[in-house]
Amino acid sequence: MTRGSLFLRKALWALVTILVVITFNFFLFRVLPGDPAKAGIKDPRLSPEMVATLQERYGLDKPVLFNTGEGGLFDSQYFRYLGALAHGDLGTSYAYKNQPVSSLLGSALVNTLWLVLPADILAIILGVLLGLVAAWRRGTKLDVSALMFALFTWALPTFFLGILLLFFGSHYLGLPTGGRVTIGLDQGFWATAGDILRHLLLPTLTFALVLLGEYMLIMRSSVVEVFSEDYILTAKAKGLTTFQIIRRHAFRNAMLPLVTLIALNLGFTVSGAIQVETVFSWPGLGKLTVDAVAQRDYPLLQGAFLMLAISVVLANLAAELVYLRLDPRVTEA
Amino acid sequence: MKAFNRFRHSKMGMTGAVMLLLAVLVAIFAPLLAPYDPYAPSSPTIEDIYDSPSGAHLLGTDDGGEDVLSGLIYGSRVSLIVGFSAAFISVLIGGVIGLVAGFRGGHTGNLLMRFTDFFLVIPDLALQIVIVAILGQSLRNIIIVIGVLGWTTTARLVRAQTLTVRERKFVLRARAVGGSDFYILRRHVLPQVLPLMLANTVLVISLAILSESTLAFIGLGDPTLISWGQMLNFAFSRGAVSAGAWWALIPPGMAIVWVVLGTTLLGNALEEMLNPRLGRHHLEKEVPPKAEPGSPPDRPEVLLSIRNLKVSFEVGHAPLIAADGVSIDVHRGEAVGLVGESGCGKTTTMLAALRLLPPGGAIAGGQVWLDGRDLVALTPDELRPLRWRHFSMVFQGAMNALNPVKTVGWQIAEAIRHHDPQVSPDGADAEAGRLLETVGIGRDRAGDYPHEFSGGMRQRAMIALALACGPGLVVADEPTTALDVMIQAQIMDLLASLRAEMNMSLVLITHDLGVVAETCDRAVVMYGGVVVEQGTIAEVFRDPQHPYTRLLLAAFPDIDEPERLLASIPGTPPRLDEIPPGCRFAPRCPQAFERCHTERPPCYPLGPRRESACFLVERTWQGVSDG
Repeated sequence: MTRGSLFLRKALWALVTILVVITFNFFLFRVLPGDPAKAGIKDPRLSPEMVATLQERYGLDKPVLFNTGEGGLFDSQYFRYLGALAHGDLGTSYAYKNQPVSSLLGSALVNTLWLVLPADILAIILGVLLGLVAAWRRGTKLDVSALMFALFTWALPTFFLGILLLFFGSHYLGLPTGGRVTIGLDQGFWATAGDILRHLLLPTLTFALVLLGEYMLIMRSSVVEVFSEDYILTAKAKGLTTFQIIRRHAFRNAMLPLVTLIALNLGFTVSGAIQVETVFSWPGLGKLTVDAVAQRDYPLLQGAFLMLAISVVLANLAAELVYLRLDPRVTEA
Repeated sequence: MKAFNRFRHSKMGMTGAVMLLLAVLVAIFAPLLAPYDPYAPSSPTIEDIYDSPSGAHLLGTDDGGEDVLSGLIYGSRVSLIVGFSAAFISVLIGGVIGLVAGFRGGHTGNLLMRFTDFFLVIPDLALQIVIVAILGQSLRNIIIVIGVLGWTTTARLVRAQTLTVRERKFVLRARAVGGSDFYILRRHVLPQVLPLMLANTVLVISLAILSESTLAFIGLGDPTLISWGQMLNFAFSRGAVSAGAWWALIPPGMAIVWVVLGTTLLGNALEEMLNPRLGRHHLEKEVPPKAEPGSPPDRPEVLLSIRNLKVSFEVGHAPLIAADGVSIDVHRGEAVGLVGESGCGKTTTMLAALRLLPPGGAIAGGQVWLDGRDLVALTPDELRPLRWRHFSMVFQGAMNALNPVKTVGWQIAEAIRHHDPQVSPDGADAEAGRLLETVGIGRDRAGDYPHEFSGGMRQRAMIALALACGPGLVVADEPTTALDVMIQAQIMDLLASLRAEMNMSLVLITHDLGVVAETCDRAVVMYGGVVVEQGTIAEVFRDPQHPYTRLLLAAFPDIDEPERLLASIPGTPPRLDEIPPGCRFAPRCPQAFERCHTERPPCYPLGPRRESACFLVERTWQGVSDG
């Protein structure tokens, strides 16, 4: 199998996963008790006519999966949902003044990326470097402290670390306690940019610290494994310096498992984002999800969950692509 | 029992176990320990809120005027109940799915793993939030949701373990004699899988506790119960940060850290105990070798002179001596076969001589003269430019000796350019192609990756790599094991002809006496870390002086005497920690007498470059030295 068609297969699998996620999402919110759409029309103040109108508007008069009656097989709630999704229609929010869910999600996603990307990049770079050094100097004090740090950050709930940093930052460093910008501040572009950066500092730091330990541990064990391979001994016997061995022979091989594991850990990243955004009132996808739960805003919750799940699937696919580029051996599934 | 002892010595594991045990005790005896009952109805006044720590409230009061310490103590109950019950559900589901997927394999297994992969990409906290929000926030629902969604890691682990167990001999045998699936699972597979599952359970518990506290913090905890996450949620959302009430925030958070850290330490220690990872590698700092003063060999024909080389390995407490005073001379253009059973120190000696010992090994004394320099006395920086140009090595099992993500040609060109920066990249590529042609691989295959080569081709490529810088000495360690007989012969012929062509010296490490007889000028026999006999091929093969050599030869077929029965040597070479006090071979030697068991025989020189370490030759030796 060529590498191109291999990637095509992976892409197809991602597509199937997304379809399954969508279907799962649909039924999760329909089948479980507390059906969101039904909840709205159960209001006793509504007249039977109004209920019927609402039911028709939301398509609730149609069967759930397949329409065996009039209107064709696919004139059902499920396929209507799919059709609406295809047009980017995720319904309207209950809580946010009937705004379309998709536009709420769009701006939240941008905010989340502002938070996640710098923190993730920082954590990956530092984690890779620290993991490399810890593995290289295996068994030394440096290695042991790196391990202890990783274990401790692992045991530290993300939201608690956020609270600690928030407490410290707001009481001693005068940093803002949350949000994206100071409301009412309007002093030109640079002042606003600086203000956003000040707001970003603590959440990014929290996020980066939490991810750092995880990435460092993965990198460390991956590097130790690669360093004990025969070809590293060959490289050493060839007379290369340690730095040359790492750069030319060890680094790429050690990155292979890291790429896969970073992809597998994206769920971890999402749960981190939910917590960090909650603590710092950062208006991203995670905060939106939590707010939707608090306000029982089911269309929004459904949309946010779908968005999070699809992001993870797509990021996984991206990782597969990177893997294919890094490893010449992958030619069969 | 052995595993338990290892666990007792694990600082990490014991710390974790004690931390967890303390938390469990606190949870059980909460009513006795807590100064107040946080569940008792109370009517706090505004003055009671966020009181700083005092005699009445050791950790102050929270947003509801309740005693933080009491809440902390009672909160341990929710954390542990959720942690243990959810982990039980997860491991049960994951265990069954993993066992079935691993044991059944085929379509069922594939389908189950696809199912697992699907759950692996769903962000679990998001899904937990959605489901708890819809089902309702009760302790039962929280346990079920965390438990049902937390099984993926267990399933993957159990499947992998089951897959390896399934192919083991005792399972195949049980299947062959008609054991039912259920019987095999219960009797043979489960006992191998359960210990690993236990270690995994502990880690799943820590994850479940984290999930519970996160859900509670987000506001999805059971509103009727006091939990640490809940305490943090209330304090955080009700102004504890701006009030500066650190006592309402830090203790519940640290309590979570305490329990999760305890379980994680315990789980990691258990995993390490069942699956010890040595984790040593080739780039660890070399133990500085113990150099001794000496002078280079005065005869110009001597290329390599290993003198009294001692190698020790740090294993546990006492160092083990893997090579004890080995002396070997190799002349220019000569091929020397280093023979002996596995574990006799052949490879260790040569790796030590080239300063390539695996981690934990160290040169404990001796000299290695090559081209007028003592390699033992050089610093790593002084040694590096000499490597590959003066001596190179063909490693045992060349399957993994080439970097899988670089082309073969690149790896050869790298060596050339590294030692001669004058060569242009194109020049190095051309030279790599020429070398590959020399070893019988087409120039056009230089752009291939190692995995695109067959085993024999990889071994040839390794030889081409070893020749890249025209070294005076090549050490080849079992270059033909794992190859079929035809390829073996081709590789050996290739080595022999290249050696003659390039006037190199070759040290061939092997247990194949036939190969030595065919390709080498001299043979050195090693046993238990020492040289027991050496001489020319004719001397060693026609007139062996050491009983070990004689037995080795008797164990090997001879084309001149096809009718002779092959004799195996009973017993095995001594373990490094059980080296006998006298002659190392004495316990297995048919001719051993009393002295052999108490006294070490020295190496008796029997002629020019001919010696044997056996008391039986003492008389002959006296004849030699007297005459």
